[in-house]
Amino acid sequence: MSDVIVEVDGVSKRFGEVNAVEDFSFHVERGQVYGLLGPNGAGKSTTLRMIMGLERPNSGVTRLFGTAVTAGCPELTRVGAIVEQAAFVPHLSGMRNLKLWWMAGGGRMADADLDNALAIADLGEAIDRKVKTYSQGMKQRLGFARLLLGRPELLVLDEPTNGLDPGEIREIRELIGRLTHQGATVLLSSHHLSEVEQVCSHALVMNHGRLITSGTVSDLVGTTKSIYVEVDDRAAAHELLVQLPSVINVQMQGDGLVMVLRDGRRSDVGAALVSAGIRLETLMPTQRLEDAFLDLLAAGDGGAVPSLQAAQVSS
Amino acid sequence: MIALIRTEFTKAASRTRSLVILLLLIGLPTLIVVAINARSGRPDRDGGEGLFRLASQSGLLVPAAVLSATSGFLLIVIAGTLAGDSVASDANWGNLRYLLMRPVSRARLLIAKAFVAGMLIWAATILVTLAALIAGLILFGAHPVTIPSLGGLLGTFNISGGALALRVLIATAYVAFGFSALLAIGTLFSTLTDTAASAIGATVGVYIVSEILNSITQLGQVRYAFPTHYLDAWETMFTQNTYSKEMIVGIVVQVAYLVVVGAVAIAVFDRKDIRS
Repeated sequence: MSDVIVEVDGVSKRFGEVNAVEDFSFHVERGQVYGLLGPNGAGKSTTLRMIMGLERPNSGVTRLFGTAVTAGCPELTRVGAIVEQAAFVPHLSGMRNLKLWWMAGGGRMADADLDNALAIADLGEAIDRKVKTYSQGMKQRLGFARLLLGRPELLVLDEPTNGLDPGEIREIRELIGRLTHQGATVLLSSHHLSEVEQVCSHALVMNHGRLITSGTVSDLVGTTKSIYVEVDDRAAAHELLVQLPSVINVQMQGDGLVMVLRDGRRSDVGAALVSAGIRLETLMPTQRLEDAFLDLLAAGDGGAVPSLQAAQVSS
Repeated sequence: MIALIRTEFTKAASRTRSLVILLLLIGLPTLIVVAINARSGRPDRDGGEGLFRLASQSGLLVPAAVLSATSGFLLIVIAGTLAGDSVASDANWGNLRYLLMRPVSRARLLIAKAFVAGMLIWAATILVTLAALIAGLILFGAHPVTIPSLGGLLGTFNISGGALALRVLIATAYVAFGFSALLAIGTLFSTLTDTAASAIGATVGVYIVSEILNSITQLGQVRYAFPTHYLDAWETMFTQNTYSKEMIVGIVVQVAYLVVVGAVAIAVFDRKDIRS
């Protein structure tokens, strides 16, 4: 039986006349690095806030470790979170902030994983400076230190690289990578698609508060109908491919060929090339997560909610 | 709960604003005492009104005069600042959501914040009394006083040094407790906004409106329910040689505000969506 860490079950949230989240469901299993994708206003932050007990759903339920979430519920001790940007008491030092935050939850400093948290933050002597003197990147690193104090089983990260410069973004992504390699379950909300593609094993796409699709990131990317192949004989391959009824728009590109599948599978193309005695070096979808994301959003706006599995079959 | 109170106290006490308030609470009473001294030493001046006229008789009476002068506005502003700021400042920093992602009930957090604000309000009132007492003792010494009852209409009465000290103690406690309603109202406003200045302004505004309405005698008994109506009831200890029954009623009114408005604040905060 799978070990469900986060469960969002039929949740809806309204703000006045606006449906921020509507009948939304998904779950995250232990060890998954789960991306929450969507444009601004899609309902990602509202969903994460409901998971963390900061907002109450109008209907439905959110669960952490199998227990319904309420404000200040005990399960929050097992979760470390950054919701939007990391924020602190500005007139206190980084170290003081960490200690006060930990003690406010009733914890003893002896029980906190302070050394590891400080190593992660890597702020050096700046840890004793007032937080108001920190750059946004330093605050974000301190935010990671804070969420790691309790050795959390689940990390909830809402737009963790927002407002950072490229160097800081790289630092934070490397940090997330290190944490995921240590086995943490992660729920990451982002509209930086490359971030999700690099970091996440699974993802869902939401828009206007509704689920568009969900699955593994490779499945999501694999919904593409455009593929790229590299072969030992490009001319022969081109001649063969243009005759295949399932393939259109075959073009030379770089060292290979790019084409669009009208129907059928990518493997059909591979089989045809190999059968013709052409040595196949590479066969891969051309699009990245960004393309899949935009395609899915466009389809979702058009009223259709494509299932990932259905999209794969059609390709 | 003690850990929560300790963290909230550290946050509140370590602000630069707290240092400014501290200096103000020491400086202003000292300035008032110096002014009383300057006025009383000049034969062409009458020494001022009420407690100010009498204050130069004894350093033990000076705190009463200074409390009378500061409890009507300065202490209200300071108390309003401390109460109105309690939740809203964390919301303004974006830190509130991180506090609430800890396994701590919102009611406990709010009570801890209100408790710390209340503690600082008491500390501010005591500091005003102490600053005035020290300056008064230095300039006027510790003597018994002779006070004209009701401005001399009922003769005079004497208060010994010990009795004066006791009455100053009671007056200080009454004034500090008299801000309980303000504490509850300020805490409630603080849960309603993410801008500390708005919460502080609204809290002080309620007290100013209460003071204005309280001065309109045509409102009759309605005024008895205003949070400021009984704030000055303690002064009869010094001007009429009596412990007014209104002090008891004043305490009951403050407790009622504290319980009712405090419960509303907890209910509001407990159900609030935290978006800051």
